[in-house]
Amino acid sequence: MDSLFFLFTGAAMTNILDIKNLNKSYNGIPALKNVSLSVRAGEIHGIVGANGSGKTTLMNILFGNPVIRETGGYQGEIYYEGVSLKTKNSTEIIGLGIGMVHQEFALIPDMTIGENIKLGREETNRFTDRLFGKKYSFVDRKKNDLNAESALKKLGVNVDIGVKIINLSTNTRQFVEIAREIARADLKLLLLDEPTAVLSRDDASNLLEDLTELSQGGLGILFVSHRLEEIQQICDRATVLREGEVISQYGRGEVSTTKLARDMIGHTVSKAMAKKRAIEPRPLVSFQQYSVEMPGEEIRGMDLDIFEGEILGLAGLSGHGKSALGYGIMGMYPATGEVVYENMKIDRMDAKANILKGMYVLPDDRQALGILPDHSLAENIIFTGDQIKGLFSMNFGLPFLGFLDKRKVYDHVHQLVDDFEIRCTSVKQKIRELSGGNQQKVCIARALTVNPRLLFVAEPTRGIDISAKEKILKMLIDINRSRHTTIVIASSELDELKRVCDRIAVMVEGRIFKVLQPDSSDVEFALALAGEEGTDYDA
Amino acid sequence: MTHDRIRTPQIIIIIFLVILLIMAYILHMDLVVLFNESLIKLVMNGVLALALIPMLNVGAGMNFGLPVGIVGGLVGLCIAVNFRLTGFPGFFASLLFSLIICVVFGWLYGLLLNRVKGREEIAGTFIGFSIIPLMNYFWTLAPFQNRQMLYPIGGQGLRPKIGLDPYFYNVLDNFCMIKISGFEIPLGLLAFYGLLCLFLYLFFRTKVGRAIIATGENEAFSRLSGIDISKIRLIAIILSTVFAGIGICVYSQSYGFIQLYDEPLSMAFPAISAVLIGGSTGRRTWIFEAVLGTYLLQTIYLLTVPIANEILIPELTEILRTFITYSIILYALLYRDRRRIVY
Repeated sequence: MDSLFFLFTGAAMTNILDIKNLNKSYNGIPALKNVSLSVRAGEIHGIVGANGSGKTTLMNILFGNPVIRETGGYQGEIYYEGVSLKTKNSTEIIGLGIGMVHQEFALIPDMTIGENIKLGREETNRFTDRLFGKKYSFVDRKKNDLNAESALKKLGVNVDIGVKIINLSTNTRQFVEIAREIARADLKLLLLDEPTAVLSRDDASNLLEDLTELSQGGLGILFVSHRLEEIQQICDRATVLREGEVISQYGRGEVSTTKLARDMIGHTVSKAMAKKRAIEPRPLVSFQQYSVEMPGEEIRGMDLDIFEGEILGLAGLSGHGKSALGYGIMGMYPATGEVVYENMKIDRMDAKANILKGMYVLPDDRQALGILPDHSLAENIIFTGDQIKGLFSMNFGLPFLGFLDKRKVYDHVHQLVDDFEIRCTSVKQKIRELSGGNQQKVCIARALTVNPRLLFVAEPTRGIDISAKEKILKMLIDINRSRHTTIVIASSELDELKRVCDRIAVMVEGRIFKVLQPDSSDVEFALALAGEEGTDYDA
Repeated sequence: MTHDRIRTPQIIIIIFLVILLIMAYILHMDLVVLFNESLIKLVMNGVLALALIPMLNVGAGMNFGLPVGIVGGLVGLCIAVNFRLTGFPGFFASLLFSLIICVVFGWLYGLLLNRVKGREEIAGTFIGFSIIPLMNYFWTLAPFQNRQMLYPIGGQGLRPKIGLDPYFYNVLDNFCMIKISGFEIPLGLLAFYGLLCLFLYLFFRTKVGRAIIATGENEAFSRLSGIDISKIRLIAIILSTVFAGIGICVYSQSYGFIQLYDEPLSMAFPAISAVLIGGSTGRRTWIFEAVLGTYLLQTIYLLTVPIANEILIPELTEILRTFITYSIILYALLYRDRRRIVY
């Protein structure tokens, strides 16, 4: 990595990336309008914007994504160190010294961390280099791994370099992905598209520190993120996009979350806030020695009482089991231990049986588990209620028929679409065409159709822009207050949990470590999350 | 149910078809006769193509194990012929026997496929390959009595080709045949096919049918919603197998022979090409796609035979036919949407 450092010391504070009057439209619908911005060597330039503001389009253009060319290219100029990028494809762009970290992982699951980081740039044996040429030379594993390890060390990650990607948590994968880019000796500009979206709070803040360090070494970074605090924390400059236009640009010292938030959505957001109240400690469900074998998120012998009518928060770092609770009950992963629900022991972790008993789970991975992407909004809302409870089926006397009662469906769906302000062209629109926030609303609407007594929600606001976030949280509070639905929210957004929940249970290593009040201090939470006893001991 | 665009394979096939039609016209072939025959060919092969739909929709891919159902149907046909049942009673008896046998076969096949989730296509291919030699034993050893089915010499074991002429040859083809100035519309045959399509259409609107489609689209979602995935897959696979059984009954009554031994082996491929030509991408498939695909493919087969005979060496037809079938499958395998892989 010495060479990397050497390269950067000489770099002056000139623009390495210049975007001038960029315009792009898809089928006549403008996605970017006159966007201009620049990145200097050694600076972090933040880009914020709500969903649909053009961030992804901008990144796609910079990445040289073929989608752009297929949809008619773009107008305007992009210069990288004085070279126009217009006619370049992805490979050529990478060759120029631009590194990219995408939202989706581009790692090979069956190769080790070291192999992935050095893929295509392996250190080779010098003797066989001369014998067979560089291309067919033997890989010097030792040197290779050392090199990869130093890149990971730079990011402050300590993992065995020989572990295969397939065995890693999402968090670590993200770090490997970034390590792969910074292990390149010729890297001068790094494009990061929501690198912290899949990370837990702790890991995200580690990553931010690493990025600051890298930029001080002379690397230019273009950083796209939803999380405004991150932008404020690390960016030297920030650009706010709204509906494809540059709304504002802030220089060093001017970046603040409130300004960014205002510019981003065009108005101020009122935050969801639940009133404090006393909950009668009558358990609706209690878990004893409950374990779930969800790989990477195991619960190991948890004891927990969930009180009737409360909103319980589940906090914890990723990998400590907070998202596995609901999955275990629905039989998605093998679960053991005792669960008593309404004074009855639940012996079978079976989705159908437990939905009928009044439990429902909204998953954290919305795309993979939460929606039927090619089905309509209406079909997504009614699916579970119809399949399990037969709410919308017409049988004509034959129980196996179950044709859809379309009028009943549409009445129900229209009602919910109005109530929740789900933005769509019609209830027949395919759900994958909706934004993340609206998809989440559809998921909640589906849960309401089933009308559960106990609702598990995991990461309800993940990947959703800030104004929609607050709406989702308000919806959850409303449901709890008006329908007396007991809600368990597992989330890595501690701030949100503190605003919404009646109690917050902190999970450490698959067990409940401590149950805190939402108004407990940040220090208490930080200690609990780290698994350290604070000053006051729980009995 | 809208399709945003016609894909490359359909364009190529339609252009090919138009060229063939023009050539047929130039060579003074009787286009009316060809048209009449194309309707028969549609239904003859169309039911086998329909049989692929339930498995495609449940997310189990192309049913390369179609021979399982076909063999079940053949057993049904043989039983009907063994009892010397003729006409419609014979045909419907063969359907009934096939149905019963295919439910059992489909159930076993489904249990197997549920254990190889995600690799159903290759597993199906080899299940198809292995059931053929097994059934070859059955055909030689089964105690069928009808002399017309058995080898003339020795009187033991079924013949490779059993003529249906004395039993129910063309009974459906000729039912309600309407003849108007050279055109012969096999109304009964088309109605039978239409009924099967309607059955499938309605089936996918029932609760189970909707669960099948949802499972095909996102299995994890279905599981979290309390759907019993194994059961739903089993239902779809059994339905697929039963349709294959019905398909071979329709095929045989049209063709005039029950073809045993190694014949069922390659019967899955034209059906699969047909569905692919219709526009299926190996995932959810509409009935319309299966019907359209079968019609296009079979009409091309129909046209190539006389044209190739006329202008090329006659043997070339079979070569062309096989080439078209397999290259379409290959094309689809190359360009289909990759299934989502979750680590």
